[in-house]
Amino acid sequence: MNEAVLRADCVRTRLGGEWLHRGVSFAVPRGQVVGLIGASGTGKSVLLRECIGLLRPDEGRVHLFGEDLWSLPLRRLNQVRRRFGVLFQEGALFSSLSVAENVAIPLREHTDLPARLRDELVAMKIRLVGLPMEAAHKRPSALSGGMKKRAALARALVMEPELLFLDEPTSGLDPISAREFDHLLRVLCDSLGLTALIATHDLDTLWGMVDRVIVLYGGQVVADGPVPEVAAGEHEWIRSYFAAHVKERG
Amino acid sequence: MDAPELERIPTEAGCELRLRGAWCIDQLPRVDALLVDLEVPHDKEVRVDAAGLTRLDSAGVMILVNRLRAQGVVWSNVRLEHFNSAQMALIHLVADRLDARPRPPRRRYRWRAFARQSGHALGTRLSGQAAFLGRIAEALWDLARRPRLLRHRELVTQLQAVGLAALPIIMLMTFLIGVVFAYLLGVQVQKVGANIFVVDGIGLAVARELSPMLTAILIAGRSGAAFTAQIGAMKVTEEIDAISTMGLSPIQVLVLPRLLAIVLVLPLLTFVGDVMGILGGAVVAASQLDVTYHTFFQRLQAELPVATVLFGLYKAPVFAAAIAFIACRNGFAVTRDARSVGAYTTATVVQSLVAVILINAAFAVLNPDIPR
Repeated sequence: MNEAVLRADCVRTRLGGEWLHRGVSFAVPRGQVVGLIGASGTGKSVLLRECIGLLRPDEGRVHLFGEDLWSLPLRRLNQVRRRFGVLFQEGALFSSLSVAENVAIPLREHTDLPARLRDELVAMKIRLVGLPMEAAHKRPSALSGGMKKRAALARALVMEPELLFLDEPTSGLDPISAREFDHLLRVLCDSLGLTALIATHDLDTLWGMVDRVIVLYGGQVVADGPVPEVAAGEHEWIRSYFAAHVKERG
Repeated sequence: MDAPELERIPTEAGCELRLRGAWCIDQLPRVDALLVDLEVPHDKEVRVDAAGLTRLDSAGVMILVNRLRAQGVVWSNVRLEHFNSAQMALIHLVADRLDARPRPPRRRYRWRAFARQSGHALGTRLSGQAAFLGRIAEALWDLARRPRLLRHRELVTQLQAVGLAALPIIMLMTFLIGVVFAYLLGVQVQKVGANIFVVDGIGLAVARELSPMLTAILIAGRSGAAFTAQIGAMKVTEEIDAISTMGLSPIQVLVLPRLLAIVLVLPLLTFVGDVMGILGGAVVAASQLDVTYHTFFQRLQAELPVATVLFGLYKAPVFAAAIAFIACRNGFAVTRDARSVGAYTTATVVQSLVAVILINAAFAVLNPDIPR
């Protein structure tokens, strides 16, 4: 069971005439929750987009479930895409649909479940992410930031993915909501047996719920390991990144 | 993938359910069919055995829990056997979150409420229009007292976008209309041998109706839609709020340059349209109707009074003001969702075309005399 669900090999990306990634390699084994950190502009989101098949890296390969993502024909790529879920930074809920309709979209498009079962599933996912049922018939614009993220998570989870990509899941949330959301994510990852890659800036997320952290700096992976080990490392950027928090924790 | 299976074995204490195969979302209808007709004694012990289970996901757990509960089984009394730890965690999470699921209320359509809401919406809409008109008037009054408020750069940009950039299409369209009109009119006047009268017809039609209308319609579709989309997009990205918090008036910054630009430019474009339309007519007259260019323009000078041309040009600023008002008002009405910008842009085009045609009709009714 310990094969790598996601593996990036020497990914190199050129953006605006400069190399953004100069050979990024990492692997995520099944069942692990991995954090991806790096200064703003080091290409975390770009790397995430390359892993989910939205942006082709200039060089290098990305393997998802053992398949080379960028050499797959579109039909196979879309089949692979059904096996993972993505939580975008702003949620990316369709604003003209209600929460329940948003969550139901993947089911409508990819399965031929009868409407009764579909509604039942949608209701279950909405409760699974901790939203009240009254929220199901609201438009995304009527929800708070935390509820939007939860609704987006319900949509990402509805096809029972094995792998979850999250782009800054706690950005824009107050610390209490962020902590609750982290807790929810951890519970869901453990109970649903999910593998997750989380691009984040949130130190609480890192200390609280991540098994391993990958640090992106200068276009390369400069550290990769459990959070306490990485935080104790010698690299200057990592030290100043964790400095405030380490002090706070004593 | 192995199909889901279920075996029901009666025991002394109650019954045992043996699950086999994949209980997951791809097989959900089958899982549902297995459980829906199952008879489970709700007052006796129920055991669920997972020895033959190959896959389980939250959808499968949901069906299991919901269907057993529907039979009156108390879930906490169900004994789970041979599930691995990951499956147990999944079952506990789902069963925990699933309890007491209220049905979402069905929405009923009520005519009375619908009528009341529509009336209310119309009322707020009209009062909103009036308020917007008031704000524009206020901004214009401010501008008249303090001309330095005028935003030159934005005005010039808009003059270029609305006027210069639209010039080629306006010239082409009015020229073609002149050609078509002269051709059709020519066929008629040739029958009575009154070829020269094509000049009177073209001059009158182009200067009084065709050029002002066609130009206004083109600009409504082109610039009106652009105004709504631009202002709407700024509303979505909170740029308009940013303008307000900097102590500037969004009307002064966004609406007045557009309004002034379109009011200044539309008469000019209409005049260009007059010239091109008549030119188109002259080309047809020369090539098809044996009316030389010299005769054509001599006759035009004699037969087309300046008052007719001016009448066409007077209409243009009124059209322009209506288009700018509708377009900007709809731009500010955009809300923060993806469909809104498109919906309001469509509304702008439709409303401004209707407005242009109504205003034109009003002009025609109020000035029925054709000057000689």
